[in-house]
Amino acid sequence: MLVVGSGMAGLIAAITAASRGKSVRLAARGAGHLAVGNGCVDVLGYVDGEIVRGNPVDSISRLSGDHPYRRIGAETVAESLAFFARLCAENGFDLAGGNGENQWIPTALGSFKPTWFYTPAMNRETLSMADRIVITHMPWLKDCHADMVKACLARQRRLMSKDMYIEETAPFRAHRNLTPLAAARFVDTEAGERWLLSQLLQCLQRSSSGRRTAVLLPPILGVTRSAEIRARLSEALDADLIEMASPPPGVGGLRIRRTLLRAAAGVGVTVMENAHVVEARVQGQRCVSLVCDATGGEREVKADSFIIATGGFLNGGLVAAPGGKVCEAIFGHALPAPERTEDWTMPDMLDSQPYAKLGVQTNTRLNPITPEGDALPDNVYFAGRTLAGYDFVNEKSGMGVAIATGYHAGMNC
Amino acid sequence: MNMNVRIPQPDRCIACATCVAVCPVAQNCPDFPGPRMMGPARQRFRLMGMGEDEASHYCANCKNCDIACPGDVPVSAFIMRAKAEICKKNFPKLRDWILAHGEVLAHCLRFIPAVFKNFGMTFAPARLLLDAIGIARKASLPNFAPQAFRARLARLAQPNLSRAVVFFPGCFVDTYEPESGLDIVAVLNRAGYKVIVPGTTDDSGAFVCCGLPMVANGFWQDARDNARRNLKTLAAWAAKGMPILTACPSCALMIGKDYAEYFPALIAPGQSSSLVDVCDFLIGCVERGELALPAAPQKVETVFYHAPCHSRALGIGLPGLDLLREIPGIQAEYADSGCCGISGSYGFKKDKYPIAMRVGAPLFEAMRQSGATLCASECGTCRVQMRHGGGKQTVHPVSVLRRYLG
Repeated sequence: MLVVGSGMAGLIAAITAASRGKSVRLAARGAGHLAVGNGCVDVLGYVDGEIVRGNPVDSISRLSGDHPYRRIGAETVAESLAFFARLCAENGFDLAGGNGENQWIPTALGSFKPTWFYTPAMNRETLSMADRIVITHMPWLKDCHADMVKACLARQRRLMSKDMYIEETAPFRAHRNLTPLAAARFVDTEAGERWLLSQLLQCLQRSSSGRRTAVLLPPILGVTRSAEIRARLSEALDADLIEMASPPPGVGGLRIRRTLLRAAAGVGVTVMENAHVVEARVQGQRCVSLVCDATGGEREVKADSFIIATGGFLNGGLVAAPGGKVCEAIFGHALPAPERTEDWTMPDMLDSQPYAKLGVQTNTRLNPITPEGDALPDNVYFAGRTLAGYDFVNEKSGMGVAIATGYHAGMNC
Repeated sequence: MNMNVRIPQPDRCIACATCVAVCPVAQNCPDFPGPRMMGPARQRFRLMGMGEDEASHYCANCKNCDIACPGDVPVSAFIMRAKAEICKKNFPKLRDWILAHGEVLAHCLRFIPAVFKNFGMTFAPARLLLDAIGIARKASLPNFAPQAFRARLARLAQPNLSRAVVFFPGCFVDTYEPESGLDIVAVLNRAGYKVIVPGTTDDSGAFVCCGLPMVANGFWQDARDNARRNLKTLAAWAAKGMPILTACPSCALMIGKDYAEYFPALIAPGQSSSLVDVCDFLIGCVERGELALPAAPQKVETVFYHAPCHSRALGIGLPGLDLLREIPGIQAEYADSGCCGISGSYGFKKDKYPIAMRVGAPLFEAMRQSGATLCASECGTCRVQMRHGGGKQTVHPVSVLRRYLG
């Protein structure tokens, strides 16, 4: 079978299908959205603007009937999340959360966002338990604003009584364009780890001591050895190290992508990189092959079944044309959309946006269907953001839908 | 507006920085600001005629940025064009001219016996001299073959076969590794195809260097001249409906993709300038029943396979690995360890050698960990780097096949 797309949905679909003994090829155009993410897995943070309490899977029943979670069912969603957690554990990726309720993790702005799985270094509980919070100030690093972080933290009821300090650190090298990714890569080396330890020791010495200290950092605790580095530094400093989720390039997303690629190779998935799928060959109710635009001309890839996880407008899975028209990029199915493009957006930027919910409509097996409900090719399955019916930004559900629908497609194909 | 002059627009880039995350040079050389900054981001300034960042020389043109980009931004092409502009103003070093013009150099030195040429490349004082002009003393330079591939093919009696293919040898096989080329000819003969190398096996115009090393070293005009000559030869053979094969993924990428990207005005409307990967072609031969593979031998041999970045960039999967997996009795082990670091001539440069070795370190480690004694990869300079860093015998996948065909 052939999977198109190497973001979270495509990788999970490929791994699921290959684990069932299928021979799986994955066609990738670009490295997928996963590589720029912050490494958290949001399952469901809000329903209609209201905060989700308790296990997010239990709130699926409150979503509208055409939401991908409702299509595949809450039970499958729970199963897929357990599969993902197992996959991470088996491949040595340290994952926290996934039980009780959503965790609110700190962002690089000092605000908090709800998420389901995260790295242990993002745990806010350690922040609440600390007496003193040291915010490392790295003015030489992009997207790092300690004053704003402190101001935002001080507004939190559970944190306002804490002693908070901003401690400036010296850069590991002089350059005008240092990102957390560059810092994380440096910290992965022995010299880098020593540098960070000495900087943090100085930070802690300068601020008055507390019984329990939490240190807030951008995500710079290494890319490949993050768990061991964090454990060693925490012990040496006698403090909890907490990473803030930060904008791209995503250190956390890269850590997950490495893990999933390793898992995919382990179950025999072969990856065809730089393959731009442009067309489908369909006979009756079956798709026979997909056509790639490769160097040297068209290349036809045949398979028994196909999973399409090509992303939304941003990654080219959905294409918008003048006149309020939207279509799926490979099969070219016209998708229902408001006729007037003015109706695609809401005046308030923070509202749920109608365009965000545009996409491919499917049956419960994730086969595409026409607006009238008739099945299109029944050996084709859609997963991830290409699907209609959810606004991942507003709901905080992006990676969750990708895992759940990728898993479901991989199980059904 | 002149539609023939196409200036690539950087605005498809949304600055997601995925390319920065995957760039092997950015991972191993903190002085390189990364492909996003050097490519589309700086392009906006270039279009306005504003200053240039000299760091573009760090780009190895390995194309991992293009492979990773979710938005079809021609990232590496922006950087190569910028490098060319810099080289227009400041003529590149002698060292870069030498590395860019291997074919010309080999032609000039053709009457000097290989033994003397190779002595010059291993003899310590000679290496010090090369080091002084910027070719790393520790680098393992490939040896000149006593006779070039094309010279040997011209004297080879191929069987009389009804079908034929055209073969684009590429400079590496021609100058340094004719054995790989002859292995390919033998296997294609076995599959029922006579191999034509224009200007060698007939009197038509010969292929020249694809021009990739020239682009990578800033000699844009020289590359354009070569592209024009090759396109003319390719068009003549394509008109005869003949498949045109190559064993070098970099030549395939340069001719099949980059010519149109770099020199759009040279491509005639409707002209396809593509080369077919020889491994891909041979898999087709096996599927069509033209090439019979021997029964599995008693002993299973493990072959360690590394995918060149330029193979991955072709968008055709990994036919080299697929071909190895077709051979009965071969257990192909996929390295999956990223770039080897050499990037053509990049890793031979004194200032780039340490970067190239750091980039290749995970691959070298994987080679050492592997139980295989034989390694395979399609790219000539990848093979040089793998022997140098990993210390194991490394050949083209088709050479592995030839051994099994006997």
